[in-house]
Amino acid sequence: MVRQSKNALEVKGLHKRYDGGVEALKGIDLTIKEGSFFGLLGPNGAGKSTLIHSIMGLVVPTKGTAAVFGHDVVTDYQAARAYAGLAPQEPNLDWFLTVEETLDFHGGYYGMRKAKRKERIDELLEVFSLTDKRNSRAMMLSGGMKRRAILARALMHKPKLLILDEPTAGVDVELRLELWQYIKRINKEGTSILLTTHYIEEAEQLCDSIALINHGKIIHQGTSVELKKQYKKKTLEDVYLSLVGREELTREQAV
Amino acid sequence: MSKTYNYIGFYSVLRRELQRFWKIKRQTIFGPVLETYLYISVFGAALGSRIQHLEGHAYINFIIPGLLLMAMAMNSFSNNASSLLQQKMQHAIDDQLASPVSNTALLTAFTLGGFIRAAIITIVSFATAALLIDLPVAHPILFIVSLAMCGLFFASLGVLIGLRSQVFDNLSFYQTFIIQPLIFLGGIFYSTSLLSEPFRTLTHLDPIFYMINTVRYGMLGSSDVNPWTSLLAIGVVTAALISVNLFLFRKGYRLRS
Repeated sequence: MVRQSKNALEVKGLHKRYDGGVEALKGIDLTIKEGSFFGLLGPNGAGKSTLIHSIMGLVVPTKGTAAVFGHDVVTDYQAARAYAGLAPQEPNLDWFLTVEETLDFHGGYYGMRKAKRKERIDELLEVFSLTDKRNSRAMMLSGGMKRRAILARALMHKPKLLILDEPTAGVDVELRLELWQYIKRINKEGTSILLTTHYIEEAEQLCDSIALINHGKIIHQGTSVELKKQYKKKTLEDVYLSLVGREELTREQAV
Repeated sequence: MSKTYNYIGFYSVLRRELQRFWKIKRQTIFGPVLETYLYISVFGAALGSRIQHLEGHAYINFIIPGLLLMAMAMNSFSNNASSLLQQKMQHAIDDQLASPVSNTALLTAFTLGGFIRAAIITIVSFATAALLIDLPVAHPILFIVSLAMCGLFFASLGVLIGLRSQVFDNLSFYQTFIIQPLIFLGGIFYSTSLLSEPFRTLTHLDPIFYMINTVRYGMLGSSDVNPWTSLLAIGVVTAALISVNLFLFRKGYRLRS
């Protein structure tokens, strides 16, 4: 019997120490409710990608647990991964596969049948304006097109928890708007979203809950309004800078 | 997701591995077939006509089992090692590692990819040679089983080296400086009875010598070793290698950080 949970993600006491001795996660506790649009903010090297990769099985945690919809990412990894979808920060497409093949194989890994895969590929190519690139090999795509293909791939199997790691870094305004329009729609339809971004305004506009991470620890978690109220700051950016100890960079100070 | 086995997931990883070499079949299939055919023509038909018989067999028939084994070994090894390494370097393998395809299914698909490529090359090479020469097959089942077992061994070795390697130079080292010399010195072109000491004893320390002679027994009905003991040893070593690979895949060795 599959155990269902109302939480899309539950992380308890998660630690990760890499072989070289770097402690990237130092006891992360995090809960993302089903249907939430959750933002994870933090500077480079804070542990965001390690946390995300631990959820997806690309990093093996040293201690602690993480569960996707109640399924442990280590002991019940197949079920946990079936519910989650990742658009990574760095494009990791196979250079020799076409866009269509990339999506088709991905759907296959998740057990989708051929007819379903074809239907979904047509839909996603349309959504991400990739229809005319269907037969282009990944190595021939521009940076923006690669980003589109990665987002389409993450959505291919209709994950219940979509993890977007810096999805709008270096993309044009058009893709950014197209992406948020689509993501907001699927979020309303029930997909839970975990977003990491460096664009704090983006997180403020989109996310119903935000966590701040630094040096491998969650520093604070709440809504944007709660965070501003608690830290007596006008903007979320100021809260962020205060929490990461860089108050001298606030716009007020800069002026 | 239901608890049923993800057959489509396994098949998709295997299909991806097969497509990888099939898309460039001139390089991955036709090239190695031509190479084996050239060995048979040059060493067997041209030079072999000067050598009457070896161990009671026509020279061309004597060398064909070893050449088939070499085709099986080199192609299953290089396919799997380079496929894994290439996907690791591109990080494209992350898409499979983050999917619900089990570690066992991933290992099986990666192993079978090179095995199937090598089997196609070996079958086509055998068929092409059979068009030219009257090829005997004394023990068909032993011949097929021993070739398949050796193919599986090298396919698994390719997976292991692909996992271990971090740059293509690592692969070239194993292939050029270890596997290829062991194959050539394992008695493809000669019988150990022609060697003087200490070369005869040294050849007996080469594991590939036993593989060549087992396949040779399957084809010609005689060889320098007991084929059944060799087959058992190859089976045990292959099973051990598969177990090591499975352990490493489950651990995420050089796949998951």
